[in-house]
Amino acid sequence: MSNENLPQVAPEVLAVHQKMIRRQKRQRGFVYALAIAICLWITVPIFFIFSMAFTTQETVRAYPKGFLPFIPFSTETMRFFLNSEGIIPGLINSILVAIITLVLSTLIAAPAGYAISRYIFPGRNFFRLSILAVRAFPIVVLSIPLAVMFIQLGFFDNIYSLSLMHTALTLPTTVLVLSSVFASVPYELEEAAQVFGCTPTQAFRQVVFPLVLPGIAASAIFTFVMSWNEVFAASILTIQNRTLPAQVLSSLSNSSEAYQFAGGFFMLIPSLIFMFFIRKYLFNMWGQVSK
Amino acid sequence: MPNKRNWVPYLLISPTLIYVLLFFAYPMVRGLLLAIYDDEANLALMQEANLEADLADVIPQSASIEVLGRQGNLVPEEELGENNLLTEIWFRIEAPDVSGGTAEGWASESRIRVREEAEDGTPLMGTVRRRLGSNADPLTSVFAEPNENSEVVGQLEARTEAQIVESITLEVWFLVRGENDGRPVEGWSPSRYIQIFEDEITGRVDRGNAGEFTTKYIEKMMNDRFFWPAIRSTALLLLIIIPTQFVLAVVMALVIQAQLKFNSFILYIFAIPLGVSELAVGILWFAIFTQNGLLNSFLQTVGFIDTPSAWLTADSRNWILVAIWLAEVWRATSIVMVIVVSGLQAISSEVLEAAELFGANLWQRLRYVILPLLRPSLQVALILRTILAFQVFAVVIALSGGDVVTVLANETYRQYFDLRNSNVAAAYAVLILIISMFTAVIYLRAIRTQEEAAAT
Repeated sequence: MSNENLPQVAPEVLAVHQKMIRRQKRQRGFVYALAIAICLWITVPIFFIFSMAFTTQETVRAYPKGFLPFIPFSTETMRFFLNSEGIIPGLINSILVAIITLVLSTLIAAPAGYAISRYIFPGRNFFRLSILAVRAFPIVVLSIPLAVMFIQLGFFDNIYSLSLMHTALTLPTTVLVLSSVFASVPYELEEAAQVFGCTPTQAFRQVVFPLVLPGIAASAIFTFVMSWNEVFAASILTIQNRTLPAQVLSSLSNSSEAYQFAGGFFMLIPSLIFMFFIRKYLFNMWGQVSK
Repeated sequence: MPNKRNWVPYLLISPTLIYVLLFFAYPMVRGLLLAIYDDEANLALMQEANLEADLADVIPQSASIEVLGRQGNLVPEEELGENNLLTEIWFRIEAPDVSGGTAEGWASESRIRVREEAEDGTPLMGTVRRRLGSNADPLTSVFAEPNENSEVVGQLEARTEAQIVESITLEVWFLVRGENDGRPVEGWSPSRYIQIFEDEITGRVDRGNAGEFTTKYIEKMMNDRFFWPAIRSTALLLLIIIPTQFVLAVVMALVIQAQLKFNSFILYIFAIPLGVSELAVGILWFAIFTQNGLLNSFLQTVGFIDTPSAWLTADSRNWILVAIWLAEVWRATSIVMVIVVSGLQAISSEVLEAAELFGANLWQRLRYVILPLLRPSLQVALILRTILAFQVFAVVIALSGGDVVTVLANETYRQYFDLRNSNVAAAYAVLILIISMFTAVIYLRAIRTQEEAAAT
């Protein structure tokens, strides 16, 4: 593309305009092509592992491998994975840990998020920056000392200590996300409710709460996914009561491809489902987190 | 926003503060100490057989010792379960004395044989044991306190019946002598820290209870054969992953901003990797690169190769790096995209329209308008990604088994999990922390300039 069509003189404006429209169309086509290419880059591996997770074990061992419409569909591989040792208990543990983490993290973070978005108080900036700093610390760094601490207290290898740990990991993000959720509801609404005779508590419950509920739900879902996905802390803190990712990781090196592929697909199911519901909130959430 | 200077906000943030202090700040300090402090380096020796007594000296762990004396001492009930705890039971008894009166005092279980017990096992009555050996004192002493060094309050004949009023469990303390750096040291220590050999006069310090700063864990980390490979691979992966991610993320963000038809669906697809676990991504790309995986199947079907080539073996280290690179770009580009889109949304559309009106083409708009305005977002994303890149771990294990290519987080896991060496693991963690902290400082500084820019 060139600069030849800079709008300089009035009579040429029409021609320039037409050129611009043509160029926009061409660009649009290019952007569509890009969008499709990137979508393929993301979905082809997922589709492949999906094909492997829902076929016969024999097909998984076969070479060269094919995609699903060309290979027999069967639940055999997935059933083999789910019936493997420790998978169902791991699944239950994973769900329990994620739910406890979600509840704890939301309950603890919501008041703090509200305080950051609604009040100006000495120490507010320091608090916000500390939360940001905590958010930036690696899980690895936290896991080792927490594991040692829990072991010394005799409180490890259960879902509760792991939930506490996951809450420590997700709490900073949840605080920041919830503060941006609360900030999206203007204080004037709350004030108006109070003018019309609500107590502050009522104003919060009946005006703010319904408005922030979808945002809180999105944040809670994200917390759930973060806990579900976490594998380092889970591997270190649990021995008998492993979560699903920890169980899969520990049996990775001595398991069949059918097990690995089905496990890989199974672990990405929550993301496939939940991202659909929270995609619109992502920018709100991460826009704030990254600031 | 109301400018309320009251206690409400502090009340609201206190749960978070407490949680962060308890499960973040405290473990951080512990982690640092684990890496540079040996809890059990020394055993404290007391001047008397008593925890409150003054410290006599310290003796290093596993030093040989000589036992000079022993004495019982009260031990809290919850500590009775500790390893190697040697206990003895003492009874408070009432029994007829040799002098004709009644002796009331303490005698150890080695002198009293219990004859009668209550239903719950509480001893009620016993008899004085006979002393064996011809030159032994035939009488048994009763002490004022449960301690053989205390005052003798009575003497009992063998086989005398004694009422047991009370019984207590004592931990044995040893008076030991040993060497610390060639210097003789002597003092009392509880039995749990000491291992006594069969001859009952020699032993060794089994574990310590007094710590000491040490660099041995850091040295051990740096001398580990995986240390430098891990540093090199981590740095190399950082260098190849992050630029790719940023280019791709900006492209993805521009696609989203272009508001195509099905934009919401495209956003959904773009966002999926954001919620996929590292391990699942590792397996996903393992399925592609493994010997009879997708890549070879495709190449063979198309006719590029005749036999499947091995990508993920020890001989194809570079291909493993490529696989990790692709997997990480696949997984973690979405988060950068989200941050970039948030940044793009903040750029006013008038600026972009003006640029377009003046005939700037896509590349020119990107180079001279969009990227400069995106700089703050890109900086933040860059630092966030750099910190997160140090945590890459499960992808590496899934794709290389953790040996051929290894990274710092993987070494932390290996030290902790496989080698059961939490101190060296902590040293690795601290190393990652230091690198991350260095990045976080830049991160925070970037935010500050961003906020200042927003304020002016």
